[in-house]
Amino acid sequence: MKLQDKINIRFLKITFLIFLFAGVLFYFALDHVVDYNIKEMLDSRKAYTVLSFRQNSQSFDSISSPDHSIFIKRLDNQREYSFYSDTLVFDQEEKELVPFRKVTFSLNKGNQSYEIIILQSLLESEDLQKVIFSFMAVLFVLIFSALFFLNRWISSRVWDPFFMSLSKLNSWKIGKNQDVRFERTWVSEFDQLNGLLENMMQKIQADFVNLKEFTENASHEIQTPLAVIKSKLEMVLQDKTLTDIQHQRIRVAFESAIRLSKLNEALLLLSKIENQQFLLKEEIDICNLIKTKIDALEELFMLKHIEVSVDFRGPILFSMNPILSEILINNLLSNALKHNFENGRVRISCDNQVITISNTGKQSQIDASKLFLRFSKQTTSGESTGLGLAIANEICKTYDLELKYSYSHELHNLILGKKMKA
Amino acid sequence: MKILVIEDETELCETIVSFLKEEGYRCEQAGTLGLGIEKVNLYEYDCILVDIGLPDGNGLSLIKELKKCHPETGIIIISARNSLDDKVLGLDCGADDYLSKPFHLSELNSRIKSLLRRRKFEGKQELVIDKITIIPENRQVFVGNEPLQLTRKEFDLLMFFVSNRGRVLTKESIAEHLWGDFADSSDSFDFVYSHIKNLRRKLSDKTGTDYFHNVYGSGYTLVTD
Repeated sequence: MKLQDKINIRFLKITFLIFLFAGVLFYFALDHVVDYNIKEMLDSRKAYTVLSFRQNSQSFDSISSPDHSIFIKRLDNQREYSFYSDTLVFDQEEKELVPFRKVTFSLNKGNQSYEIIILQSLLESEDLQKVIFSFMAVLFVLIFSALFFLNRWISSRVWDPFFMSLSKLNSWKIGKNQDVRFERTWVSEFDQLNGLLENMMQKIQADFVNLKEFTENASHEIQTPLAVIKSKLEMVLQDKTLTDIQHQRIRVAFESAIRLSKLNEALLLLSKIENQQFLLKEEIDICNLIKTKIDALEELFMLKHIEVSVDFRGPILFSMNPILSEILINNLLSNALKHNFENGRVRISCDNQVITISNTGKQSQIDASKLFLRFSKQTTSGESTGLGLAIANEICKTYDLELKYSYSHELHNLILGKKMKA
Repeated sequence: MKILVIEDETELCETIVSFLKEEGYRCEQAGTLGLGIEKVNLYEYDCILVDIGLPDGNGLSLIKELKKCHPETGIIIISARNSLDDKVLGLDCGADDYLSKPFHLSELNSRIKSLLRRRKFEGKQELVIDKITIIPENRQVFVGNEPLQLTRKEFDLLMFFVSNRGRVLTKESIAEHLWGDFADSSDSFDFVYSHIKNLRRKLSDKTGTDYFHNVYGSGYTLVTD
């Protein structure tokens, strides 16, 4: 939800509540005033009627009003009373029942008692309420729209520097040596925010560079001694005077040194990917890449008598780093080869922007949650570093790709596709 | 053949130098970029091995300098930084080849030989090993006057052995030479074995001699005597 909408909804809610409360209050106040007025009116008419009744010595017919709002009738017994009540009277002109308020009271003249009813129409007060409600509604709409536009106008002006900072942050990419400068906004909060952001980004940038340098240095520092160990051992292996046992021992040390250096390379590669140090991006035709890689691997598959079937329908383009794309495909194909058995099968299909690499394997179902973890080896084979799929998965994460595992019909499937945007 | 090794890691430098001396090269070493540039300016070399990350500067500047005064010298970059940037930059500057540490000495040997062949003989050199004649430029192999058909990998394998004649080549270095990155695959040693078996058979069928010796189960060596 946008900031603007959030503010507007708050405004709407609050103005609505205020108007509701004010409307109710206003209604009761007016009702009270109108009520009081009508009572006053009835009282004054009552007083007038009583006066003219007493002065007039003739019959009571003479004080009947022209609008039929006063009724007089004789009473048999003598009583004293006076009360107010509401009633509905049929109006001849409007052809409907109209609310009235009436005062009923008794009056004695001589020995005769009379009951007098005076009616007063309530129609006017009802009209008044209607007018008030519609007026309130119109006022509500007017005030709200005024607030809405005012708020919009203010927001676009006041929040302008904020949105500028936001777009700068959006375009900022770590590792690309950009110098981020925020302009002075003359709003202290924004200036403070921008200052903090600037410091933070510089710090992140510096840390990133440090880390990168460390990775490179570590690589350099570890690889060189390893190179020494390896080459020295290699030279010792050339020595023809060695006994079998000596040869065997050196051989084991040599193999371990090789494994160590491969492990180191793989770990460094992982951290490089995590640090997003592969910045170059190109459109890579994955199907094409797979084809070339299969050609290179053809004999490795043939020697193991693995049947490779390929089914490509249309090109699949991923925007990614060319080296990483090669590593990704290398690792996936190596995986299909490594964990396969003699006379096995590998099936590769590219369809609907999804690549599926399926292979027969020595094991049945593998725990998918552990498959992409580092050093999670399914076999105890000393040759496997246990990092191949972790690297593949890390590459996928970098480029919003998804690598999934499934097992069906005795085939292990690795499914590579673009991540669905949620 | 004179080779200069510019490498700051003394141990590694000495290992390389002693290895190359065994191979019959005349070898000199330089531990710093400054010393390297000095030597390059004073003497002529057939080939130079240069580390890119040197303590007193980047090896790339030496390559640029060398290209100006001795453009005919072959250059092989050795670098611990297994990054494409270095590789591309180095090759752009005029280096002939790139090896990332750690490498097998046999691989280095094969690269130097192939480079010198290209540089010195414009590739037109014929290699004669006992009854076998190899023309590297055309990737052709003859036994006597009869051509011998080899697959791409078998030819690469033969060249690797010929470059490292008499040395024990480990299974690892062979696998890496043939498949590069794919050498990780645990099965690659089986493939090395089966390739060697095929090559061995093809050669012994024609020549009647078995040139390959198996060494303690750890590697192979090409023996001609």
